[in-house]
Amino acid sequence: MEFFLQQLFNGLAVGGIYALVALGYTMVYGVMKLMNFAHGELFTMGAFLGLSFLGIFAFTESLGPFGGVLVLILLVMAMVALMGVLLERVAYRPLRSSPRLSAIVSALGASIFLQNAIMLIYGARFQVYPHGILPNIPLSFFGVEIPLLRVLLLLVSLVMMAGLYFFVQKTQIGTAIRAAAIDQDAARLMGINVDRVIQIVFIIGPALGAAAGVMVGIYYGQINFTMGWIFGLKAFTAAIIGGIGNIPGAMLGGLLLGVLEAMGAAYISTAWKDAIAFAVLILILLVRPRGILGERVADKL
Amino acid sequence: MKKVLCLVGVLCFLAVPAMAKTIRIGLMAPMTGSWASEGQDMRDIVNLLAEELNARGGVLGKQVEIVVEDDAGDPRSAALAAQRLSTRKVAAVIGTYGSSVAEAAQNIYDDYDIIQVANGATSNRLTEKGLNYFFRTCPRNDEQAMVAAKALDRMGFSKIAILHDNTSYARGLADDARKFIGEVSDSRVVFFNALTPGERDFNTILTRMRAADPDVILFTGYYPEAGLLLRQKMEMGWNVPMIGGDATNNPDLVEIAGKQAANGFYFLSPPVPQDLPTDEARDFLAAFEKKYEKLPGSIWAVLAGDAFTAIVTAMEGSGSTDSRKVANYMRTQLKDMPALTGTISFNSVGDRIGDVYRVYQVNEEGAFVLKSH
Repeated sequence: MEFFLQQLFNGLAVGGIYALVALGYTMVYGVMKLMNFAHGELFTMGAFLGLSFLGIFAFTESLGPFGGVLVLILLVMAMVALMGVLLERVAYRPLRSSPRLSAIVSALGASIFLQNAIMLIYGARFQVYPHGILPNIPLSFFGVEIPLLRVLLLLVSLVMMAGLYFFVQKTQIGTAIRAAAIDQDAARLMGINVDRVIQIVFIIGPALGAAAGVMVGIYYGQINFTMGWIFGLKAFTAAIIGGIGNIPGAMLGGLLLGVLEAMGAAYISTAWKDAIAFAVLILILLVRPRGILGERVADKL
Repeated sequence: MKKVLCLVGVLCFLAVPAMAKTIRIGLMAPMTGSWASEGQDMRDIVNLLAEELNARGGVLGKQVEIVVEDDAGDPRSAALAAQRLSTRKVAAVIGTYGSSVAEAAQNIYDDYDIIQVANGATSNRLTEKGLNYFFRTCPRNDEQAMVAAKALDRMGFSKIAILHDNTSYARGLADDARKFIGEVSDSRVVFFNALTPGERDFNTILTRMRAADPDVILFTGYYPEAGLLLRQKMEMGWNVPMIGGDATNNPDLVEIAGKQAANGFYFLSPPVPQDLPTDEARDFLAAFEKKYEKLPGSIWAVLAGDAFTAIVTAMEGSGSTDSRKVANYMRTQLKDMPALTGTISFNSVGDRIGDVYRVYQVNEEGAFVLKSH
């Protein structure tokens, strides 16, 4: 039982990060029907910018560990959001009326370009976040080891996800985003500025990805320019499991993927962890082709 | 007239390679990707050796030119890199670091009759295929696995967890170690499984290993994952000792794990650069430090330098750059050639004869300390 609970918690903690990255994928897809393959690289950029700013401004020294990390995350989110807007302007907007394949190719190109840019700027070696930015207190409940840092990681992910959910459901801009997701032309006829909606989506998605990047850097310590690939793949899978284009779906999909991997590793084989997770993905898609929460198209986003 | 001119033109074109002023030697190395720091050291070392050689007049009266191709530490890129080098008229190729990467390239070089001298590819089967032109300056996995089994027994560990990463190097070493552990001692292997390289979170794997209650973890994968394992193991409050294979011999391991988590980590390896026994090695390391203002990180990059020395020595000795003659010389006549990591001889399949693995431990300052022979 302890073993089960420990693995459940391990899975949830990783799943929280998958979910946070998956939100960016799912929002862009919901509004533009475009898989933004460059999202994984925006996440990597977040991790690297976080490290640079940490070095330049020494946030944690002047603001204390928790306040410093919060300011750091917000600053990196803002920077990467700017890059997201730029990316949309350069790589996606000119192709908006072209066939969808052109936009996908452009997304792949942007992904490769960004990855190489990160390598040329920061180098090919691993970069390491300083140790002990946040105090990591080992906590133990009912024999389950739950380091404080992992709890915080999961909490921050959940708070961001919940915040996004209320933003999209309860605000006027959120309503406009949902409207554009259903039908861009009709939304335009109703006086919604679709260009602005898309811009907002490209602010929020990359910003959440960047936050995940900084959190990965702080918790795991080690970052390198290829890290976006594996997290991007997992987030993409999470978005599909939950029902692509659906925000609660991305959260559920991310947490579920994390737990599936952990259980696969715990009870079958650690080497087959990914294979088991992807087998479940195929199974879910066979039973529910739109993903778990993807059934009602009108409620997308 | 036109025809004659054409013919002359074609002849001139054909004659160019024969009159080439330089001898090209290829270097296939991971310049990008997870192992980029290894590849960059390999390039720096080989370039420095080539410079020194050219200053002394080169080989067979010609200057040596190094052609670098990036294999990204990835088998697919390695096949492409091998194709590109093969069409660039290199006389021989040095590299590469990873076994699965070397494996993807070795048949291509063999098809083109190009000598390949690997520097970090230790998987047994690389030389068991009987290729004509494959050599390596590094020792083999089974030799290392035997040392691992004996060292674990000597240290008094009886319940052993083995973790690999499914690359041909790590899987092979893990399999050999499992076999030898049963042979040399009464120890038991209580856990045997793999992780996925490139991932960040190994808590699920560590939790499962902990449930098997081992005395020690033998990890046969590479340094990036080893660093993360050490760090996450410490964070979950688990104090079991860990011992790594020779692919964990890289200072980046300490960077990634942090000094506190890396403290006490054992690994098996040929001597690290600073412990190299010969005067040549000390002089070379001094020259290297003067030029690049750092020391080479691991022994694997230094072994790339030895691959270079073996190739040019065999060219000089056989008086030719013809692959068949040079390979033949390396197998039969090149005996006890002095090199940076000791003396080098090759056996009939291209394996280096006689080298000793040592046991190292990371101390509280993060330095690699020689424990025993």
